[in-house]
Amino acid sequence: MANISVSTSDKGRATGTKGDTVLAVKDLAVGFPTDDGLVNAVRGVSYELRRGQSLGIVGESGSGKSVTSMAIMGLLPKTAQITGSAKLEGEELLGLGDAELSRIRGKKISMIFQDPLTSLNPVYTVGYQLAEAIRTHYSDISKSEARARCIDLLDSVGIPNPQQRVDAYPHELSGGMRQRVVIAIAMANNPDVIIADEPTTALDVTVQAQVLEALEKAREEVNAALILITHDLGVIAGHTDEVLVMYAGRPVEHGSVDEIFYQPRMPYTLGLIGSLPRMDESRDQRLTPIHGTPPSMLNLAPGCPFRARCPMHQDICAEVEPDLLPINGSGHVAACHFSDQLEGKAPDDVFAPVATDLSVEAEVEAMDAEGAAAADEEDK
Amino acid sequence: MVVFIIRRTLMMIPVLLGATILCFALVDLSNDPVQDRVFEIEQSTGEPVPQSTIDALEASWYYDRSVPERYWIWLTGLGDTNDDIGLLQGKWGPSIEGSAMDIGTEISSRFWITLRLVLFATIASIGIAILAGVVSAVKQYSRTDYTLTFLGFLFLAMPIFWLGSLFKEGAVQLNKILGSTVFQTYGSGTTGFQGNGWAVFVDSLPYLIVPTLVLMLGGYAAISRYQRASMLEVMNSDYVRLARAKGVRNGTVMRRHALRTALIPVATFAPLALSGAMGGAMVTESIFGWRGLGVYSLDAINAGDTFAVMAYVLISGVVVLIGVLISDILYGVLDPRIRYE
Repeated sequence: MANISVSTSDKGRATGTKGDTVLAVKDLAVGFPTDDGLVNAVRGVSYELRRGQSLGIVGESGSGKSVTSMAIMGLLPKTAQITGSAKLEGEELLGLGDAELSRIRGKKISMIFQDPLTSLNPVYTVGYQLAEAIRTHYSDISKSEARARCIDLLDSVGIPNPQQRVDAYPHELSGGMRQRVVIAIAMANNPDVIIADEPTTALDVTVQAQVLEALEKAREEVNAALILITHDLGVIAGHTDEVLVMYAGRPVEHGSVDEIFYQPRMPYTLGLIGSLPRMDESRDQRLTPIHGTPPSMLNLAPGCPFRARCPMHQDICAEVEPDLLPINGSGHVAACHFSDQLEGKAPDDVFAPVATDLSVEAEVEAMDAEGAAAADEEDK
Repeated sequence: MVVFIIRRTLMMIPVLLGATILCFALVDLSNDPVQDRVFEIEQSTGEPVPQSTIDALEASWYYDRSVPERYWIWLTGLGDTNDDIGLLQGKWGPSIEGSAMDIGTEISSRFWITLRLVLFATIASIGIAILAGVVSAVKQYSRTDYTLTFLGFLFLAMPIFWLGSLFKEGAVQLNKILGSTVFQTYGSGTTGFQGNGWAVFVDSLPYLIVPTLVLMLGGYAAISRYQRASMLEVMNSDYVRLARAKGVRNGTVMRRHALRTALIPVATFAPLALSGAMGGAMVTESIFGWRGLGVYSLDAINAGDTFAVMAYVLISGVVVLIGVLISDILYGVLDPRIRYE
């Protein structure tokens, strides 16, 4: 696919070297006015993204993952109140008008959305929608050139028979195919940053793997930085270098993949990892759930927003919301007053692995005992 | 696409046949002109009507046949007839007004008058409805949106006969203020005007404005609400967001991605506004003194003129069918998902 990078990447745009900062987000906050008051969906997010780097953002629904990226892309409704700064190669993105944003969107920074079934316009062919992404930014490219590039792009994201599929309507493609088309649209202009907002959530597991592979390939081909937003920790572990854990609109922990998965220093992260089934542990190992639900973002009480669900919480947690504090020199930060106490702790040391219903618990244990007895019988 | 259109057109034939059966049955079974005429004669002369007169009436109006036989004759004109009946031969049947009154000539001259009104009103109402709906949606919850919404519901709520009278009175007052006759408020054209088609059309324009406006406003509100809702839905859709994320300018996104898709649900039923306008034309024509098809049908119903009423009902049916055909074709053009390949 060498011709892809040749065709547009060097059109009046300097390609930076790997390791340069491309996107710097600082103190980004987003509020939505509602009838009940201001909903503070995002309350101060800062991160830096370097060329070629892949950043994972995890968190449960409503933690502000998507809103953060939409704010950067300028895709939030006009009513949203956005403060802070988001600089793409030194250029401030927040507060830009439609004309300036349109120049940047899709060319320097592009986005992949969650639901492939609704992300494409049903009345245009995928080729048209792909060519539109190119010709919006490079109007001097002829239709036939754009079409040739569309076919290349579709081929590079793993769509078979791209010469025919380029004229297909979205309803003629499967969900996985459509998501690949969306990925092809995102990489069409060799962007510096690709934001993938839960790109695999609506797909089944086998298709997920193919789509992630296409995404990974896209990133390598255009040497872009990737922000991967998901609540699937498995996807994060396999496809990112750094992880940002968000809770109640704020990052609560940020570090390398290894640090987050093996040395989490925020009880929430530890709880997330403890609630994952693991292949490397015995099958009887209980998952450790995090009880409760995230707090309402409307009139959030002072103090740590996680304290109500945190087994380690103490009086100070209700008074002071902890900042992101450095754990060691490597840049690993966590927002917890007691992060040093988490050193070397396993999830079930902190979160009690109990079912909420004790009778169910007893039943499960009885069945386990029965099963064990039966297995013993068979062994004999 | 051509196959799609041909298929849709062919499918109209059985529907049309069904329409003739329904139309004949509805009118024929609800009306007995012979009895009415016999009663009328008795009233005026005060004597019983001789059987020979009744037989003659029945024979001339084909009421000496059974209902299915009459339907067959009405449709085909085959068999023992007075050579004045048979739709397929272009004959609409005898009028009870006597042989001087030919339903065919009467209807064809009036049809163009009504079509002029209905067509302009429908096209204008669809156009204005789409415009108002889109503006309302793009400027949702703004003052413009509220104003358009208010006007829409106002015209939707006002009965057309009242709306028509108000506009007529308004036009008359305006003429008085201006001191000249800008708007003609009575008749469909200058009485006794002769000329070719274009001259007749130009002559009729001042007469056309106010009735078209009335009929248009009566029909536009529903479509505009529909357009607003469908536009709002599309504007919040993922593909519009993706189009913006691609770097397409906002105006282009609205036109190319939002409006284009939002037209689909409206296209499915907007041409059916033709049928609404046909009904509305009956009232509008009466108010503005037009000698159109609507007024003719009213007179025919009052007189119990069976074959004339049938002609009107059938023509209305055909107009609605054409509306359906247009909407089907539009749907196929706008939405690739329903095209048959």
